[in-house]
Amino acid sequence: MDENLISRMIEEINGLNKQETKIMEVCGTHTYAIGKYGIRSLLNPETQLLSGPGCPVCVTSESTIDAAIKILENDNVILTTFGDLVRVRGAYESILDQRIKSKTVKILYTPFEALEIAQNNKDKLVVFLAVGFETTAPVIASAIQLAQKKNILNIYFLCSLKLMPPVLKFILDQNRQHIHGMICPGHVAAVMGEEYFQFIEQEYDIPAVIAGFEAMDIIGAIYTVVQSRNNPGTKKFENLYRRSVRIHGNRIAKETMNEVFEVSSAEWRGIGYIQDSALTMKASYAQFDALKRFNIQLLPQPNRSQCMCKEILLGIKKPTACNMFGTGCIPEHPLGPCMISSEGACASYYRY
Amino acid sequence: MDNAIKLCHGNGGKDTMQLITDVFYKHFLNPILSQGLDAAVLEIGKERIAFTTDTFVVKPIFFPGGDIGKLSVCGTINDLVTVGAKPLYMSCGIIIEEGFDLELLKKITASMAETASLAGVKIVTGDTKVVEKGAVDQIFINTSGIGQIQDNYQVKKIHPGDQIIVTGTIAEHGTTIAIEQYKLKVKGNFRSDCTPLYEILKHLEDYMDHIKLMRDPTRGGIATTLNELAVHSGYGIRLLEKNIPIRKEVAAINELLGLDPLYIACEGRMLLVVDKDKSREILHCIQQVSNCRDAQIIGGFLTDRDPYVYIENSFGGRKIIKSLEGEMIPRIC
Repeated sequence: MDENLISRMIEEINGLNKQETKIMEVCGTHTYAIGKYGIRSLLNPETQLLSGPGCPVCVTSESTIDAAIKILENDNVILTTFGDLVRVRGAYESILDQRIKSKTVKILYTPFEALEIAQNNKDKLVVFLAVGFETTAPVIASAIQLAQKKNILNIYFLCSLKLMPPVLKFILDQNRQHIHGMICPGHVAAVMGEEYFQFIEQEYDIPAVIAGFEAMDIIGAIYTVVQSRNNPGTKKFENLYRRSVRIHGNRIAKETMNEVFEVSSAEWRGIGYIQDSALTMKASYAQFDALKRFNIQLLPQPNRSQCMCKEILLGIKKPTACNMFGTGCIPEHPLGPCMISSEGACASYYRY
Repeated sequence: MDNAIKLCHGNGGKDTMQLITDVFYKHFLNPILSQGLDAAVLEIGKERIAFTTDTFVVKPIFFPGGDIGKLSVCGTINDLVTVGAKPLYMSCGIIIEEGFDLELLKKITASMAETASLAGVKIVTGDTKVVEKGAVDQIFINTSGIGQIQDNYQVKKIHPGDQIIVTGTIAEHGTTIAIEQYKLKVKGNFRSDCTPLYEILKHLEDYMDHIKLMRDPTRGGIATTLNELAVHSGYGIRLLEKNIPIRKEVAAINELLGLDPLYIACEGRMLLVVDKDKSREILHCIQQVSNCRDAQIIGGFLTDRDPYVYIENSFGGRKIIKSLEGEMIPRIC
């Protein structure tokens, strides 16, 4: 890491940017990295970073968590999933809470482990709760294909896979004036291609930068957005992650994803129902669909929590303006994405 | 659900502390317990004796660098060492699951005996219980120990400017266990750091007046221990990221697992709070001890009365480090 270069760039950002500039880092991995490197603490107050909707754990709906809990009511089920999703509550309880009731919940690092578990426990029904974006979807698709190829009959997938462009369009359509630039996730672009995020500049005339996840990558992206905002006429769309991202992305990954999934609409926690913003399994893979196997329907929930996640996510309102902040919604029992993510606006506010 | 004990109540972090305060302190409270040290300091006649207990439920029971037996001896010895005591005698209580392999029990016992003997400690009393299959997972061990406090060592008040030393690379034990638990197929040199720490104390005899206090950062890692020290002292702590010794492999695996090494257990490391003007000398002295070559001064206490711990990186970025909250679960993004 070149500390001197990083420090110089931060100085330049702070020197150059004298007007309020709100930059949304779209993806949860960027949000985490920004916290880890303490980047917020280095920027002047004019340059504000907004944590976007791209943390899969944070935006998984209550109804998806409740579906997983309902599936666990069957005695012979092993529920498998990724990391910190188990901590998030549905309407009333989290998946972690089910472990106390002697339900089997396993945290895995890849969906392929779930296939192994299914093969080693033929008398059980193994369910993999898959959350993620375009980065995770090809891996899940490939696991489903492998399950079909190996004829594993006791594995099911409860998918809550989401797409980035529809939610970004949803946000920008409503509040374009509040966002002055976007930092786009390098790993999503590596799968989908540089062109996938070009609409931010083309349709909304807002600077957008594809970036990797090191301190230098993120500071470079902030620098590019600030440059563009303060120098009208400069290029607004940049790919700073050329070491991994090609224009059209990864063809094989995209084909695998399209073979197994089709686009559908879905609910985003704290944000609402967004058209064509998710992936669901095609009819040809229906035998692996946990919702069908356990006869569960994901119904959109009313915003029961009365959170102001949408406004907070956009930086229009401060966390303290939300009625639930600090009372019904705290880091130990978060309701919305801004509190679930440790670097989310509400969690940061609560902490400091 | 909130009336049930959860796994997070046993992780050594905020929830454990809450449970101790709300339940155990409430019923057991006395001036010795309320000192909140890793070992109780008892004054019996003219002698000052350290007394402690610890229970071990680690899974898997054998892991690279140790096993549940070795760990159970080291854990108790190290708690005694943190109050300046020479560990002398230990007890050993074992709960065994019906059907457990006798050969494994022999192996664990031999490991306990070897570790105790190397540390000059005798296991002088014990208890055995066998419970029906499923009532415990294989084997649980409790050890208690007593030690003689050396040269009337006293824990001292922390002041702004006091420096914090860690005696070696962090997160070795917890990372090794995580690799085993998640059955990760990784190559690399991953071994628990599980070791008795009395050797360090022997080397530091001349400096004991300048050592404010010592802690072994086990469950909850150095982050949790340092938060406790911040609250205990009433001063903030600033850590320098580049000074925190961690092996590259360990850092990489934690990144991969979505875990933060600052929260990962050490079982053979000590944190020392020392006078600033003697900190270099003490560090140099510690670095002469085998296993402690990587010791470093990782930060110090601030004049700030807000008991926060923050870490600063090489380009000045700052981040607040909190106590471990909830169960430690891999972060996915």
